[in-house]
Amino acid sequence: MSRRRVVVTGIGMISPLGTSAGECWSALLESRPSVAATPASWRQYAETASTIWAPLPPIDWPAHGISRIEQMQLDTSGMLTLAASTEAIRDAGIATSLADPKKKTFHLDGLAPERCGVFMGTGVGGITSFYGNAVNHVMTPLKAVLADPTALPPMPPRFNPFGVPAMMPNAVSALPGIRWSLGGPNLTFSQACAAGTVAVGHAFRAIAAGDVDVALCGGAEYLGDPYGGIFRGFDIARTLVSEGSDPQRANRPFDRDRTGFLFAEGGAAVLVCEEADAARQRGARAYAEIVGYAENFDGYSIMSIEPSGTRIVAMIEAAVRDAGCKPADIDYVNTHGTGTAVNDEIESAVIDQIFGSKPLVNATKSLTGHCIGASGGIEAAVTALSLAHQTTHACHNLEQPIRDLRFVRAAGPYQIDTAITQSFAFGGHNAAVVMKRIV
Amino acid sequence: MPDTGIQERVASTIIDVLKVDADLVGSDTRIREDLGSDSLDSVTLVMALEDEFGGSINDNDAKSLATVGDVVSYISRRVEEKSLA
Repeated sequence: MSRRRVVVTGIGMISPLGTSAGECWSALLESRPSVAATPASWRQYAETASTIWAPLPPIDWPAHGISRIEQMQLDTSGMLTLAASTEAIRDAGIATSLADPKKKTFHLDGLAPERCGVFMGTGVGGITSFYGNAVNHVMTPLKAVLADPTALPPMPPRFNPFGVPAMMPNAVSALPGIRWSLGGPNLTFSQACAAGTVAVGHAFRAIAAGDVDVALCGGAEYLGDPYGGIFRGFDIARTLVSEGSDPQRANRPFDRDRTGFLFAEGGAAVLVCEEADAARQRGARAYAEIVGYAENFDGYSIMSIEPSGTRIVAMIEAAVRDAGCKPADIDYVNTHGTGTAVNDEIESAVIDQIFGSKPLVNATKSLTGHCIGASGGIEAAVTALSLAHQTTHACHNLEQPIRDLRFVRAAGPYQIDTAITQSFAFGGHNAAVVMKRIV
Repeated sequence: MPDTGIQERVASTIIDVLKVDADLVGSDTRIREDLGSDSLDSVTLVMALEDEFGGSINDNDAKSLATVGDVVSYISRRVEEKSLA
């Protein structure tokens, strides 16, 4: 059987830039990042070297279909996932009908559940819920022995009985699978910062191979625990951005004065991917066609990219080949672009070696901050939107590029026929998805 | 007589958690048998009541609450003792 064609027909997204794909896309094009001081409550526990982050905007959960009860039962990563999946399914124009009012589940009308899969990535799933229960567990006896409980730093009001299902990383796949009554393969990928990209790649392969007809895919993450402990974990590893004289200009991937990545509170992006003929038959609008995927592994260090970038080069070349393209065909590279010294140095050298200075290059993280396991999904969505709208966002705060590449210095119209989005993760996981414009 | 405010808040919390019609929720209604609450629902209901009234409800207390009326009297007593917000 020849490989079936796969198109992206729906996008849902919540990130520090906005609570819908439309809001996020506008903020990207207008170069409006989310940068703020870290919560004061965190400092009751520890001083950190980095003191800024990319918080999420306030989220009206009921407006995203998440009830008050669900807010008590689910980790925020799960709620972000459900909200993004709801937006993506609506955006794809797939009608739904209520299956079970008590469980709040729905059927996707006209689609066979067992032919629809879920492929989601997450770095750490419901870590915030697990962490909350740990804090409650340890601090409850302390509270009893202290005369003045108000002197205690924040602790969760209860040991959450739903802590285990809230914590499971696979909840980010299980929740949309249950909500939308899907019976096909339901997989969770946990390749840290590359998780979302790996998930989209495997969804593409499953549709192309005929295993499923429709896939919800992307990534989700939530790291804004009230104690600042997750932030501290990255801070102490010296991966985070220094505030500098202007916090708004601190996050600057590919700039000579970059100091690290901007930690994002969280986010989720869900893409509805479909077999192209079936999508056309139901009259779906397609953002982009996914045409290639590759992944490999550095086998070098749990925290650092292999310095020669040899494996990354091999992986990107394989992705371009898988798409039936040559490097010269690539018009736009949506980079991993974290803003760390090591990543940007190696990644820019790799781009130079494979593509030279022909393609447009930007870093979505220059605006969203680093959403870890959600970032690959968010960047796949941004790549699809860039192809659909024939425009893309600026590489924000880039003043003195470290290499002579064609960095996007201002948002605007660009001809983009073929694009690649790439991610490299702690652990050594490398992955890239290639997409084409719908013509 | 229990405070009608508490009665209404308990009833609406039960309706919210168990997704049952308001008509079914009376003082003598048995939460498990009449409203079909399973063990996960019971855990959720306790969380939702804690959330609604503040404070915490321990497991032994929770297990003794069989009817809607039981919940209303229990919450009213705790509110009177000021051991719930």
